[in-house]
Amino acid sequence: MRIVVCLTQILDPEMPPSEFRLDPQRKAAAEGIGQLVVSIFDENALEVALQVREHILERKGAPSDPVEIVALTVGPPSAADVLRKALSLRADRAILISSEGWPPLEGAIVARLLAAAVRRLHPVDLVLCGRETGDWHGGQVGSFLAEELGWASVSFVSRIEVEGETFLMRRQSDEGWEIVRARRPAVATITNDETNVPRLPKVRDTMLAARASLPVWTIPELVEDPHTLWETSARVAVRELFIPSSSKVCELIEGETVQEKAVRLLEALRRRRML
Amino acid sequence: MRTVMVLLPTSRIERTEREAIGAARALSREWSANVQVALIAPTAEGIEGLRGRTEASSDVSLWIAAHPQLEAYSPELYVSASEQLITRARPEVIVFPSRTIALEIAPRLAYRIGAALATDVIELRAEGEAVVITKPVYGGKAHAVLVAQRFPLVLCVRPRAFDPFEGELRAGTPHDLQIACDPSSVRTQLVQRIQEDAAAGVSLEEARVIVSGGRGLGGPEGFRLLEELARWLGGAVGASRAACDAGWVPASWQIGQTGKKVAPDLYIAVGISGASQHIVGISGAKCIVAINTDPKAPIFKVADLGIVGDYRAVIPALIAELKRTHAGSSGDRPGSSPEEGR
Ligand SMILES: Cc1cc2nc3c(=O)[nH]c(=O)nc-3n(C[C@H](O)[C@H](O)[C@H](O)COP(=O)(O)OP(=O)(O)OC[C@H]3O[C@@H](n4cnc5c(N)ncnc54)[C@H](O)[C@@H]3O)c2cc1C
Repeated sequence: MRIVVCLTQILDPEMPPSEFRLDPQRKAAAEGIGQLVVSIFDENALEVALQVREHILERKGAPSDPVEIVALTVGPPSAADVLRKALSLRADRAILISSEGWPPLEGAIVARLLAAAVRRLHPVDLVLCGRETGDWHGGQVGSFLAEELGWASVSFVSRIEVEGETFLMRRQSDEGWEIVRARRPAVATITNDETNVPRLPKVRDTMLAARASLPVWTIPELVEDPHTLWETSARVAVRELFIPSSSKVCELIEGETVQEKAVRLLEALRRRRML
Repeated sequence: MRTVMVLLPTSRIERTEREAIGAARALSREWSANVQVALIAPTAEGIEGLRGRTEASSDVSLWIAAHPQLEAYSPELYVSASEQLITRARPEVIVFPSRTIALEIAPRLAYRIGAALATDVIELRAEGEAVVITKPVYGGKAHAVLVAQRFPLVLCVRPRAFDPFEGELRAGTPHDLQIACDPSSVRTQLVQRIQEDAAAGVSLEEARVIVSGGRGLGGPEGFRLLEELARWLGGAVGASRAACDAGWVPASWQIGQTGKKVAPDLYIAVGISGASQHIVGISGAKCIVAINTDPKAPIFKVADLGIVGDYRAVIPALIAELKRTHAGSSGDRPGSSPEEGR
């Protein structure tokens, strides 16, 4: 069984807001203000893939159909870092789809490129993507990819079990969770829960991953007439980005004792008609 | 005449659905378009939350695309039903509420019909022929202004960002639409539903008061304290992603960018640092109280009131004080039912 995990590189979403700056020309976050990391839900997706592989191994010992995990990313050469991260967590292979020299990417184009790569990797049984990227929160690439491939797809999945020719996926609903059975091959977009918190790599694996050679696939290798990707793509244009202003002043409740603070907080809330 | 269509894959119209209609209506007024609300449901009967459906004065018309095959939700059938509605009505703009089902359908529909897609929309206006969209990016650290000039355009509007439509819904003609469902296209099947109960029985979306806990609680026990405080305040309990990921509380309690978007009168953040991805989920709160040991925590930048201190001392003191003042009035514990709970 082959599982493809799609990863993308983003500006560290946990960087302090006080250091956040914009680049008005690029209409994006300024370069160099923070680390570049694997988008958080993509890390959850890789974790889910690793767990699927472990469960199959536990169940069958040495299975006749071993699980192979392939990490894919579309991006500039620097995006290779996310692939090395995936290898350090023991993905079996990692491939960079290089966008160097091409216009900026957007969801539908990324999905077309990923779909072409998945077809090239045939046979693939399962493709995992994060539910949304941690920078633009588009929430679309996984679903676009499923449409492009014409596969079953389930969104907001936190856990996957293999059952015969199907996958049992635990998906988030507005009320809790649902177990959904999906036919193979399938695409799932991954959300977080307590079972898929990304593990940490071992030092030795990180060192091995740093030295691994990464195959690079180019866009013309994957799609015919790549320029039409940009011409035909339906999209909205970015006019500008701005940092929303907040002018709140917090009233800190003081007091000699914690009881006093509690009394004063409740008083302040009553004054504001909150209680 | 242009058309803005609100697609509601549900049999129940709640505030989140009314907000999507509100967003569509605000746009349609500036853009001289008409608004069609289309429900996708197993039957046209027993739709909850409809008000005065046959009222002729409303500028919002209602269509119901019903098919018994839609009883169990399947993305394949719901995407196909949406596509059929759009082929018929040819709307320029399609608006979805940000429910999990809608968030699954919207991108697939957009791709299928070759439409542009914007999710997490918090502002919407017309500018000549174009539609101008605002959405938070970088976890809410920035807002992006997007311009759509090609249609159709699919939008998912963020809960608690638009005023809900409170008017009547007028039946379209014919208001019950025939759609085809092809069961052989179904590739996914619902096996089981696992309901996660809201803490203190109050749903986060409807709650007037929310007490929310983060990693600073240090473990699940801390949430028992928050639950007790929430009961005294008649509120619900929420959490940060860190607390959910730790397994201390169910993931459905998560508030923020990828959790629930809430708009209570009072939001008490306990042991939550105030990451932008959390704050974007509470931008509708009227009053934010922060309780945190770290006076430099970013939460104090967005809070109205704050106590710097250990929650293990502050929360029991608040509960004791509520008990004391309450004993003075009625003696009994306060009720915990929200105005519009379910
Ligand atoms: C794409 C994306 C989506 C995300 N979506 C969400 C989301 O929906 N919701 C969400 O919450 N997060 C979300 N996050 C994660 C978010 O960035 C933060 O990591 C998270 O909110 C941090 O949770 P926290 O405040 O509980 O933990 P921390 O940041 O670790 O804060 C803990 C706080 O507790 C305080 N504390 C410690 N001990 C005590 C004590 N005894 N008493 C009082 N205070 C104490 C500390 O001073 C600290 O401020 C998302 C991130 C990404 C990248």
